[in-house]
Amino acid sequence: MEWKLSDEQDSYREALRGWLGDVASPEAVRGWFEAADPAPFTERYAADGWRGVGVAEEEGGQGGGVVELALTAEELGRAVAPSAAWLATVLAVPALGTLPEHTTAWLLPAEDLPDSAAGVRADPDGRVTGDVARVLAGAEAAAYVVVVGAPGERTLRLVDADADGVTVRPRALLDHSRSVADVRLESVASTALDADAETVLARATDLAGVLVAADALGAMERMLELCVDYSLQRRQFGVPIGSFQAVKHAAAEMEVAVEAGRSALYFAAASVEAGLEECGLHAAAVKAQVTAAAAHAADTALTVHGAIGYTWEHDLQLLYKRARLDEHLLGAPARWNERIAVGLVLV
Amino acid sequence: MDFALTEDQELIRTAVAELAGKFDDPYWMEKDEAHEFPREFYDAFADGGWLGITTPEEYGGQGFGITEASLLLEEVAASGAGMNGASSMHMSIFGMHPVIVHGSEEMKKENLPRIANGDLHVCFGVTEPGAGLDTTRITTFAKRDGSDYVVNGRKVWISKAQESEKVLLLTRTAKFDDSDRKTDGMTLFFTDLDRDHVDIRPIRKMGRNAVTSNELFIDDLRIPEEHRVGEEGQGFKYIIDGLNPERCLVAAEALGIGRAALRRAVRYATEREVFGRPIGMNQGLQFPLADSLARLDAAELVLRKATWLYDQGLPSAREANTAKYLCADAGFDAADRALQTHGGMGYSEEYHVARYFREARLTRIAPLSQEMVLNFLGERVLGLPRSY
Repeated sequence: MEWKLSDEQDSYREALRGWLGDVASPEAVRGWFEAADPAPFTERYAADGWRGVGVAEEEGGQGGGVVELALTAEELGRAVAPSAAWLATVLAVPALGTLPEHTTAWLLPAEDLPDSAAGVRADPDGRVTGDVARVLAGAEAAAYVVVVGAPGERTLRLVDADADGVTVRPRALLDHSRSVADVRLESVASTALDADAETVLARATDLAGVLVAADALGAMERMLELCVDYSLQRRQFGVPIGSFQAVKHAAAEMEVAVEAGRSALYFAAASVEAGLEECGLHAAAVKAQVTAAAAHAADTALTVHGAIGYTWEHDLQLLYKRARLDEHLLGAPARWNERIAVGLVLV
Repeated sequence: MDFALTEDQELIRTAVAELAGKFDDPYWMEKDEAHEFPREFYDAFADGGWLGITTPEEYGGQGFGITEASLLLEEVAASGAGMNGASSMHMSIFGMHPVIVHGSEEMKKENLPRIANGDLHVCFGVTEPGAGLDTTRITTFAKRDGSDYVVNGRKVWISKAQESEKVLLLTRTAKFDDSDRKTDGMTLFFTDLDRDHVDIRPIRKMGRNAVTSNELFIDDLRIPEEHRVGEEGQGFKYIIDGLNPERCLVAAEALGIGRAALRRAVRYATEREVFGRPIGMNQGLQFPLADSLARLDAAELVLRKATWLYDQGLPSAREANTAKYLCADAGFDAADRALQTHGGMGYSEEYHVARYFREARLTRIAPLSQEMVLNFLGERVLGLPRSY
């Protein structure tokens, strides 16, 4: 058993982290958030050639697989980069069979597991009608993958975001680093996708579990670094607060969560990549465990920072909100645990 | 609102603490290791008149309420006597409640003074291998034979049966399937544990080894009608009356063990030096102990409220269940942390916290599991659907 990233994967991570440090500094990130416009980041990300990593060459990507996608998600989470467009698009690739030129999103509520989707209505001539609230990257997408029909007999169709009959209403999240929008379809023309809906939805769900967990892992690790730095710098009663066991043990427990999360996460990523029989359970386990651990770590980090962590000026708030949204994004831990319970055939 | 104990209650506390204090931790360690009933301890409390604390005065007792009984058992446990000490007298303190309320005058005159003076040891025979908390499912059967009953069946987890002369025995006089309501057809007796017809086998167990827990095999035990408590078929109702006070008393015992454990932990944390300073200076040790203090204090308040309500004749089920739940967790956590504070020494018998730990664990199981408390609160207090 060899349990480490390849040299290539290590260099990829390093390069992406460097690039994000240059392009998506906290100041830059705050600028995009204030303008409520993630497009400059999304465009630069594509222009500088990162967008195709983790998508196979035959699907129009630059090669690599789920592990590379997880590395990407982790780095994006660390940097609190506005990554809804990227995440939505990589989740849509299984449905499209190819990396689309523009941002494409599943037309599903961002708080649900992809494959729990109830389909919208379609006319015999392929015109689709329905309301879907809180679509991830709903206002950033150029096209939507639409699920049609009831579970078990679902089919997939593609809709242009600027087609007649599409209304998009952006909604504000506390976490400014991701976007959602309510999308209304009123008799909108669509084209059929020939992928098998159930297979593709299952694949997108497994990917969603791994990638949101990876995002949370990145945010959690960055929060731990902030905690350690701050606890060495901040002094009370004449000593750094990091010398208090209540603080250092809290940091140590975060470290345990980070390491446990990383071990489980990259196993799940490799499992989904290899299509292991139980990869769905592995993905569900990391989504439930790592995102919950990161949300807990966010609270701990806030405690360690005291009031400064509660301010707008401090970057902790960005990571805190990132981690808290990750816990609920694409399904809360209880939903994923339920998936595990069903998968284990318990009573 | 008044949080103060009465003068009597304060006196009970001090006097019990003083008397129990005469039996130190090594005494309990020896009794526990030898699986030997703490006769001297029991006799001291009997001689002091403590066993009749809730027995009405006309039957030789003090006529106090559950608040006073809980203070007594809490202080007993807190002295380091733990569940060994508390269980040696627990049944005498309150177990006879059904007899006091529903027993015949003759039964009371004959037995209650002997219980109060410690001469008569008693136990409580309800649970069975096929029916734990699902009490209506017991199958031990009392069959009429003239003016007598003849009983056959099995009981399990009967504390102190080995040491007891008499048992408060719950039976069925009509089968479950023949009863209109499942709580019908159950009859309570207070009778002799005749060794010729009851085989008593102690269960090997994790702790509280100075007082036995037993399995009873009852074979044609003949019980005269006069030993029946109250009406035939009403036994379940008589037992139910005593459940809330029972929960309060076990809560008090859990609380007492927690106090004992915390006391030892604090002492050790202050005395033991590592890296040139007392280990209690480490927040990693100090905070859990401070947290336990807060939790024990909070649990104590609910317990006081529960016993106050009961003694006022007010509904107390919610508070009694909550008290048992919180005291058991707070007591066990305190014992666990005391053990952790002691490090390797905590695992040796010499420092006594291992014994507290084993005994505190019992209160999360008995008289009912924490989960059954949650079932009660979920269903009966919150109105959620029954989950089992």
